[in-house]
Amino acid sequence: MPAEEMGKLTSRMRLIFAVSSVIFLLVLAISPFKDYRREWKQYKRAYVRFAQSRPDTKRLTADYSPNIDQIWLPGMNVTDRCTTCHQGITQLSLADASVPQPFRAHPPIPHNVRDWGCTVCHRGQGPATEVAEAHESTLAWEQPVLPTHFIQASCGSCHLSDLPQTPQLSRGKQLLARLNCQGCHKLPGIETPVMRGPDLSSIGTKVSREWIYKWLKEPRTVTDKDGNVTVNGYETVDEPRMPKFRLTEAELVGLTAYLSAQKAMPLPAYKISAAVVASWSKNPELASQGELRFRQMFCSTCHSLAVTRAGETKLIGGDIGPELTKVGSKVNPDWLIAWLRDPESYLPHTRMPRYGWSDEDLYKVTQYITTKLVDSDLLSSVPKLDPPTDEQMQLGKRLFLEKGCASCHAIAGLNPQKDFGPDLSALGGKNASELEFGAAKIPHNLVSYIQAKLQDPVSVNPAARMPQYNWNQADLDAVTTALLSMKGPPATSALQNLVVPRKEAVFHATGSFAAVYERYKCYTCHKFNGYGGDLAPELTYEGSRAQRQWLIEFLKSPQTLRPTLVLRMPQFNMSDKDASTLADYISMVLQNPAVNPATTDAKQFTPAMAALGKQLYEVKYQCQACHTIGSSGGYVGPNLNNAGSWLTPAWIEAWLKNPQALVPDTVEPHRNFTDQEINGLTAYLMTLHAGSKPQKTAGNSGTAAVSEGAGQ
Amino acid sequence: MKPRMCIVALFFLVSVGTAGCHKNADVAKADPLLAAYDSEPDWTDPQKIVPLSYQEAQGKRVFYQQCVWCHADATPAGPSNRSNLTPVPPLLNDGATLNGETDEYMQNIITLGGSALGKSAMMPPYGRMLTAEEIRSVIAFTRAIAQPPYQPPGRPGSQYSAK
Repeated sequence: MPAEEMGKLTSRMRLIFAVSSVIFLLVLAISPFKDYRREWKQYKRAYVRFAQSRPDTKRLTADYSPNIDQIWLPGMNVTDRCTTCHQGITQLSLADASVPQPFRAHPPIPHNVRDWGCTVCHRGQGPATEVAEAHESTLAWEQPVLPTHFIQASCGSCHLSDLPQTPQLSRGKQLLARLNCQGCHKLPGIETPVMRGPDLSSIGTKVSREWIYKWLKEPRTVTDKDGNVTVNGYETVDEPRMPKFRLTEAELVGLTAYLSAQKAMPLPAYKISAAVVASWSKNPELASQGELRFRQMFCSTCHSLAVTRAGETKLIGGDIGPELTKVGSKVNPDWLIAWLRDPESYLPHTRMPRYGWSDEDLYKVTQYITTKLVDSDLLSSVPKLDPPTDEQMQLGKRLFLEKGCASCHAIAGLNPQKDFGPDLSALGGKNASELEFGAAKIPHNLVSYIQAKLQDPVSVNPAARMPQYNWNQADLDAVTTALLSMKGPPATSALQNLVVPRKEAVFHATGSFAAVYERYKCYTCHKFNGYGGDLAPELTYEGSRAQRQWLIEFLKSPQTLRPTLVLRMPQFNMSDKDASTLADYISMVLQNPAVNPATTDAKQFTPAMAALGKQLYEVKYQCQACHTIGSSGGYVGPNLNNAGSWLTPAWIEAWLKNPQALVPDTVEPHRNFTDQEINGLTAYLMTLHAGSKPQKTAGNSGTAAVSEGAGQ
Repeated sequence: MKPRMCIVALFFLVSVGTAGCHKNADVAKADPLLAAYDSEPDWTDPQKIVPLSYQEAQGKRVFYQQCVWCHADATPAGPSNRSNLTPVPPLLNDGATLNGETDEYMQNIITLGGSALGKSAMMPPYGRMLTAEEIRSVIAFTRAIAQPPYQPPGRPGSQYSAK
């Protein structure tokens, strides 16, 4: 190459070199600019500007640093940089909702945020420093932030027993247990319900094949014109626990053939005495008398009936037993009589008590049920079923196992498959990539998956065996929360140490008491030492509270003066012997050590003390706001008309000192009485008697409040 | 090398350099109920659902346990005790009555009871049953469901906000 051309080339090269140098410098300058513009640094600067707009700037910026902040807890696998942007989480003055995120303070919870980190509860990616990566799932980091609506799931991952602060989680766990989800799935910590699906060993003696067909096809028997029913006017929708299975016509025929042939352990038939039948069968009042008896015995405490008023259908009554609106068209009348006399012989695990029946009552009530609680159209949609063939029977038996019926319903001699459904013990910690979404058009995250699966199991997996449940939104969210809390065994031993185990509630009834306690199923509604239902007042310390004679009279004839209660203690027609067995046990064993009968003697009370008590009751403390004496007063607390015959003076004194020490959930206010005031009030209450025999005006405590909060 | 190629290279470098400056698309607007700890239907309009924060939700829990018997028209156990009382206690969502009371006054009347503040003795003191935090949460719940809505008092002005 000639020299002059070299020079030419060089000048061009120089130009190129100069241009590219400038470009290079420019690109180099971009990188500090980029660094300056990083997302988290913008939030850092925004926080300083925000703090300067607040009166307490100094405190807000006391531990400010321009760098990434991090909570590092190696034992718990926590490396959370969330506080880099969420800088105000521990600043009390930033608590109100007007403070813009991400600077708002964390609401006051029982845990110190700085000791626990964020992702332990909120999930998301702790080490991420960009908004999207921290909160949503990306290809590499899959766990998105848990929506606050389901955050109670995180409490449940460590706190295995129910907390008052997490009602949604508790409701979800309760539903999982009630619907016997652990019958098919592995769900640690979910108990088998006291009442599983009924044992079907003798179902053929109870209902017809046509009824089984209808039930399998559409388990709900009562609906209004919109297909809905409200329960006691509240929003909870009482679904039958039996879900809907997707069964073909042939499967329905097979299953009904198999089930209606189950007559292994029939109840012995009971003949109501001919004299009773003869004297009542022609009586036009038979059914209405039966209805009266049905009401008097408070069957509705456990069973509901549909009532239509002003075009709105409501189920009125409890949900411990099945709703009975059309039960007369369901059960065989002979079976009904035998069942009412002795439910346990048919269903060993039933919660139905064994009532004491006279033939007359039994005849009236069964006649009421079989003639009034009927619907002639109930089975009209059922096609004509031909006599079952052997093939159909075989198909039915196979389906009973394959569809999972055997997981809830026992049939003598049939063993359910082990581990029928998928193990859900670690479902709540799964990443979206571990889930099968099928053709479902839903966002690919765990919450959407769980909700889609619960609402329509085949939407995410066409081959799903899971039946169809009918949830309302609140229950769906509650069950979702409970499932999200199932995160499997903790990943580290430090996390394992954080697990708060469930308290096991145990109550063993002993001796002759046990037989009576089992017969009347006291535990279905009452709690004893933490064990039992929560429909009625807890009886753990009932022996300290009530006088023995009152207990006997109450058990034989439970009366209430709480006019607002729908669900009341049934009339068991209890014998004298049973009543005194219960009363003896209660007064001897169910005692609170803090209530010492020896310290208080009713004889020490003078009329002057009682007069002081009356003053305090009516004027200073105005107890009549909640309690009724005579005909006036409120009905939050129990009626005190008969307090002197009902309560022990030692209990009243201990109760007035500190009600919550005796019954933790009671709404009775804990006041600051002086000893003299307590004596006066006790003296006054001990003068209140409703007469020798408690009639309709007898006060009592032992009746069911719909909410346990209404306990006295 | 052609100048045109230089320009291409320059463009390439610049675009690579600035790519990282793009902010990610905004996080989709969260459903207020999904971001709420709990919710409560507006008492005057059941179709309207009020989302509740953690504190308000704890207040709701305490309310339905302790206060609902007299400060609502229906209770979980049936009709309310409100009609039995004179003077009639205010409904908890009665903004016309309660919005005018300060948080401090509300805290005092719940803690000490009505008689301590010259009001009806039928309002019992809850200072020994509820913690101060629980009482604060009940007040927060009251504010959340108030009709007409509650307006918090103005914050004392800051020295910087006058700009």
